[in-house]
Amino acid sequence: MKKIIYKGLIMAISVGAISSCTTEDLDPTLAQNKSVEQSVNNVGNLFSILKGVHSLMSESGYYGQDVIITNEVRSDNTFSIGNSGRYTTESQYLYNNNTDLIWNNAYEVIANANIIINANLENLEGDVDYGAHVQGQATAIRALAHFDLLREYGQQHTGSGNLGVPIVTEYKGDNLFPARNTIEEVKAAIYSDLEMAYSMMDSQYDDSKVYISKLGVKALESRVAVYFGDWTRARDAAEIVVNSGEYSVISADSYVDSWQGDGGVNVIFELAASQVDNAGINGLAYMYQINADGSGYGDVVARPEVLGIYEDSDVRLGILDTSGDWIRNTGKYPDNVNFTNNIPLIRFEEVVLNYAEALMETGGDALTQLNKLPANRGASLYAAATKDNILLERRRELIFEGFRFDDQLRTGMTMEAVGTDGMIMETIDYPSYLFAWPIPLSEMNANSNMVQNDGY
Amino acid sequence: MKKSLQGLLTLLLVLVVQIGFAQEKTVTGTVLDEDGLPLPGVNVIEQGTSNGTQTDFDGNYSISVAPGDVLVFSYVGFQQQTITVGSSNVYNVSLLVDAAALDEVVVTGYVTQKKSDITGSLVEVSEEKLTEYAAASVDQALQGNVAGLAVSASSGTPGSVANIRIRGISSITAGNEPLYVIDGVPVNNGNASASAATSSISALAAIDQSTIESITVLKDASATAQYGARGANGVILITTKGGKYGTTRFNFTSQVGFQNDAIEQPTPLTNAQRIVLASEAYVNDGFFATEAEAEDFLVNNSALFAQWDQAGRPESNWQQVLRNPDALFQQYSLSASGGGEDNRFFASIGYLEQEATVIGSSFERISGSLNFSKDFSPSLKFSSNNTASYSFQDAFLELSAYFDSPRTATYFMNPLRQPYNEDGTPAEIGGALPNPLISTRDNFNENRFTRIISGNSLDWEIGGGFSAGAKFNVDLQLYNYRTYTNRNYGYGVPTSGDASQYDRTNAFYVFQNYLNYDFEINADHRFDVKVLQEYQASRSYFLGGAGNNFADDGLFYLASAGTPTSVTSSFSDWYMGAYLGLLQYSAFDSRYVLNLSYRKEGNSRFAADNRWGDFYSVGAAWNLHKENFLADAGAIDYLKLRGSYGVTGNANIGLNNYQSLFTYGVDYNGEGAQAVSTFGNNDLSWEINKTFDVGLEFGFFQNALTGSIAYFNRDSEDLLLDVPLSQTTGFATQTQNIGELNNQGFEFQLTANIIDTEDVGLSIGGNLATVENEVTKLPLDPNGIERTITTTITRIETGHPVREYYMPTWAGVNPETGNDEWYVNGVDGETTTNFNDAEAVFQGGNSIPTITAGMNLNFNFKGFFINAQGYYAGGHKIYEGWHLYLHQTNGFPILAYNGYQSLLDRWQEPGDVARHSKFTSAGQPWQRHSKYLYDADFLRLRTVTVGYDLPSTAMEQIGMTSARIYVRGNNLATWVKDDNLLYDPEQDLGGETGLETPPTKAVLVGVNLTF
Repeated sequence: MKKIIYKGLIMAISVGAISSCTTEDLDPTLAQNKSVEQSVNNVGNLFSILKGVHSLMSESGYYGQDVIITNEVRSDNTFSIGNSGRYTTESQYLYNNNTDLIWNNAYEVIANANIIINANLENLEGDVDYGAHVQGQATAIRALAHFDLLREYGQQHTGSGNLGVPIVTEYKGDNLFPARNTIEEVKAAIYSDLEMAYSMMDSQYDDSKVYISKLGVKALESRVAVYFGDWTRARDAAEIVVNSGEYSVISADSYVDSWQGDGGVNVIFELAASQVDNAGINGLAYMYQINADGSGYGDVVARPEVLGIYEDSDVRLGILDTSGDWIRNTGKYPDNVNFTNNIPLIRFEEVVLNYAEALMETGGDALTQLNKLPANRGASLYAAATKDNILLERRRELIFEGFRFDDQLRTGMTMEAVGTDGMIMETIDYPSYLFAWPIPLSEMNANSNMVQNDGY
Repeated sequence: MKKSLQGLLTLLLVLVVQIGFAQEKTVTGTVLDEDGLPLPGVNVIEQGTSNGTQTDFDGNYSISVAPGDVLVFSYVGFQQQTITVGSSNVYNVSLLVDAAALDEVVVTGYVTQKKSDITGSLVEVSEEKLTEYAAASVDQALQGNVAGLAVSASSGTPGSVANIRIRGISSITAGNEPLYVIDGVPVNNGNASASAATSSISALAAIDQSTIESITVLKDASATAQYGARGANGVILITTKGGKYGTTRFNFTSQVGFQNDAIEQPTPLTNAQRIVLASEAYVNDGFFATEAEAEDFLVNNSALFAQWDQAGRPESNWQQVLRNPDALFQQYSLSASGGGEDNRFFASIGYLEQEATVIGSSFERISGSLNFSKDFSPSLKFSSNNTASYSFQDAFLELSAYFDSPRTATYFMNPLRQPYNEDGTPAEIGGALPNPLISTRDNFNENRFTRIISGNSLDWEIGGGFSAGAKFNVDLQLYNYRTYTNRNYGYGVPTSGDASQYDRTNAFYVFQNYLNYDFEINADHRFDVKVLQEYQASRSYFLGGAGNNFADDGLFYLASAGTPTSVTSSFSDWYMGAYLGLLQYSAFDSRYVLNLSYRKEGNSRFAADNRWGDFYSVGAAWNLHKENFLADAGAIDYLKLRGSYGVTGNANIGLNNYQSLFTYGVDYNGEGAQAVSTFGNNDLSWEINKTFDVGLEFGFFQNALTGSIAYFNRDSEDLLLDVPLSQTTGFATQTQNIGELNNQGFEFQLTANIIDTEDVGLSIGGNLATVENEVTKLPLDPNGIERTITTTITRIETGHPVREYYMPTWAGVNPETGNDEWYVNGVDGETTTNFNDAEAVFQGGNSIPTITAGMNLNFNFKGFFINAQGYYAGGHKIYEGWHLYLHQTNGFPILAYNGYQSLLDRWQEPGDVARHSKFTSAGQPWQRHSKYLYDADFLRLRTVTVGYDLPSTAMEQIGMTSARIYVRGNNLATWVKDDNLLYDPEQDLGGETGLETPPTKAVLVGVNLTF
């Protein structure tokens, strides 16, 4: 019996000696990820995050498709025929609070930009001046994201209310349940970010059009100022870009082809796409086109009246395909096979038009600027730089790029809801609650400081 | 890990320390049973030593001992006997049947227990029941056999994953799947697929059912707390077959039959119907004054209608074209088992092939297993259980409405397009949906899955009540996923063919070491103590790429791709370590039983400070039938009152959620980039389940009537919840330990053996379980407002079951206007035609059944037998998916896609009382409301088997032991409560009907031969 107890004891000890897999033994491997707190150590990391920010912007939930298409189908340029069932809701102004639209994407961009902006350069290794430039770029992107949120969710065209969107300037900051700032506050924050960005950036580092450049910041400022009718600011910002000599209006001969290639003389800032990195079938081309073999969602087609805004000699007719049942955009974002086209976000032509409009509003020589476009498009020159002419030229030039909806709203036009067969279902007078997206339900449920837009 | 290996070595060293003892003389003898028949395989051991032997085929033994030594004779099912060696050299022994041992012995986890010693709630399902349902994976056979267990297949595609819920759901974000344990070792059995779009493939489908001896389902904490943090959702213990001492026995089983959809699927509209509806819609929209004018317009102006009209208005009947009627099912298995004096083995090979009920999808598995055990000495036993299988699944895009899927095309395909050319070849039709006849022929989407499980253990009977052992298990899963989209027709044309290929290697290792000590205090008090250490490592490596542009047909490996488009690889891992202590105490011949368990477990999913958790259980049982005051109650054979309480955990969340992380999975402009991907939460820890369970088990009238009643109450606390964040943070959710929910219910089980004679047997039985689920606590935001989690059809809110359906309430179609109306307040009274004005309200019930029941009948007469089993699930609801496109009176079903014939019941003129509103040619937005929410109650005849066992006398003449032939039906009849529900109510737990392959019914013929 003693023997047995002895052996039992040995066993007990030996099992005990199979001593612990300790807490450290249970550490998981981080193969694809790194901890946020420990991995921003040098200026190169900031640039890497900046690339991440641009990648997020090019997703289909943001500039890869949504923000451009949702605005286009609500404007008088296009509508959805529901070929794949997509964008009919927006085209018919029937949306409710169930879709997130760009809310989450834009704030994701802001969260990542804030990590760059709030990094303490003194603690980072590498070229600090370049670090400041990257921080400036992130600040500009943050302004763009806030501007996109404001124009989509703000109450500036709803006829009542002064609410904008929450301004977020910190990653994982103290207030995780922000309330909406007013339109004025958001606007001020955007201007302030753009000014800060311009002052921090150094154009010697601007060597690629797929990142926002110092001049791009001014171009963006002119866009924001035109949207809000801050004409002096718009004029001054646009003037810097127009007079920089860095860019030019693309010529008539090159206009259609310029969409095939990347980084043209007229491109100020564009989002990169390549054969291996693109929004694919959830991108812009697949939504506008149907290939000869039948592939393509092709939900979004031009309204027939679009043909009427161009003169026959206008080279911009070359981007339209009128051979099928519907008029299609096959010229902008043309690659519907490999989806390799970069997505231009800021073109020089827009800045010229911003400049022209600001000059017109402030009593300058708008006509010279305005006529730079028809002169390079095979169209007749304008006799006068009226608001109507400027808006017409903006529509002709910027069609399918997501500008028209804002242009219509800021000039108080009546909008039309169009059915899948192209018939007008309803006209919507300005202002209307439908001109601001609903705050997503998920946001409302998570954050009781959030106030919903009227009508939802 | 190193330390565990050291541990193993230590253990082996200790074994080597064993030394022999002095031998004086050789004693021989024969061991017989009460009837005087020899007993082979009886253990004969010198008490207190490792000296021992076993009896041979004829019951003879021989052992060297010294006079005065004590020999112990032991054999399963017989009372142990001891003999003190005296002067004789021959000792013949007769062993008596142990009445107590007739108590069924059940595998209850790390131990096996007598039925009377079990304090928890568990159900054992026998091999016979498991083979009654023909499916690639064994979990489907549990449906209806275990009270409180609900199985729902995610798809009828063979090899797909089934969701199993035991006693409701305990978690909102973390997993609700039970833990699977094969031969004592926890394994991973989830979805192995690499694609979120194509058919799932269950790792469990890699295991051949015919190698499974039994399955035990553990339900309460007393049973599951030994599995600690993985026990919260119940545990499914799979025991594979082993060999038995004796001559080698062969067993051959085959089952062949065909399958069809279990219930008739919705019928699509015909072209003749569509033109009527489309014309009507145009008139309703005010485009034309009469339907004749509208029809005229359509056949002249709509290209497809015009073609169809000119062709003589043919029908296309895509549903029939894309169906695979009488889909084949065949399964064969051949096994051999036997054993010699110190070894036992079971070996098998199996083959299974199953087609889906849609074209282009099938499953095939070839498997083999070898379970071998060898007694190095009577006290040192080694066993090795090995199984390997290769499965092939011809999968398809079914997890959403993919236009390329034959299931999608059945309803979405515009029937104006014809499937065949005039010469009978598949037509290369245009439009958004390619012809699935071509894509299933020329494209592929394939899962290949190889799984090898090897479990090896060493058990040492030290003597004196001590035993020890070690176990090492490897589960290797090799997965390959390939796709190809052809270059001639369909989506692959623009890129001249697309191909991708992905490989995943999962390796799971489990080490276990244990020490056991049994002892008695004056025979009335028996103790069984076990300490165990367990370590599990899981590593997963993923590699794959895609490319396009192929020079010719028949090429689909990436080396031939002209343009590589993506390449990816990744690695992930998790680790678990645990210490377990078990104490079983039974007093006065198991009259009173107490079971205690304690487990300390660490998991790599949590930050270092929160990594370890403590789990325990207390269980007690009182075997009343052993009390003197009931000993004379002749009618009562078995009566046990048992109760348990315990704490289990759940850590089934994504890896590395506790850290705030950058992902480097983004890239921009051809360069690597980074972006934040996880919000992180260093406080993350275990989700806790506290379960109370009480039950009464009984057997009356010579056990002619047996059954049980149980009640359970499970509180889940510190829920691992993906708490919605304000998305202004850049994140949608953060995983937090917050929130509570409760499940409680009753379970009843009753079996009546009505007739039990040599020639005739009749028994009926059934089980019934209820479960009530309620969310009791959710996180609050800084204003004290509850952060509910709402989707378009469900909401999670306190006071309601998890994901109760929540949406506006449909008030019907207005007979005057023909418009859909909804209740403004969501309940009654004022109605509106503006959907956005209708308030969303709770609709009562979620997608989890609140009542489930199984019923069975077994009848046999002189070798003929009938077994039948039914299953009922009720109290839950199901939402119809895709109704915007297929089941609404808008332009989608009549102009773009197709819809169901139920749409014909639509409003046409004032005064019509119709289910569907008036048709419009326009599109509509998604509006989800109660019209498309259905009661999901159903009753299903799961299995009916009619067969005949050939008389053994006849069999012996042809050299066989037994033979059985049978005809079997699965899901032959189904009753569905809600007439408006067009789809099969047996759906995956997502709560929304989809376009996956529906459940099937089968008719099979089978043969079992033993020789």
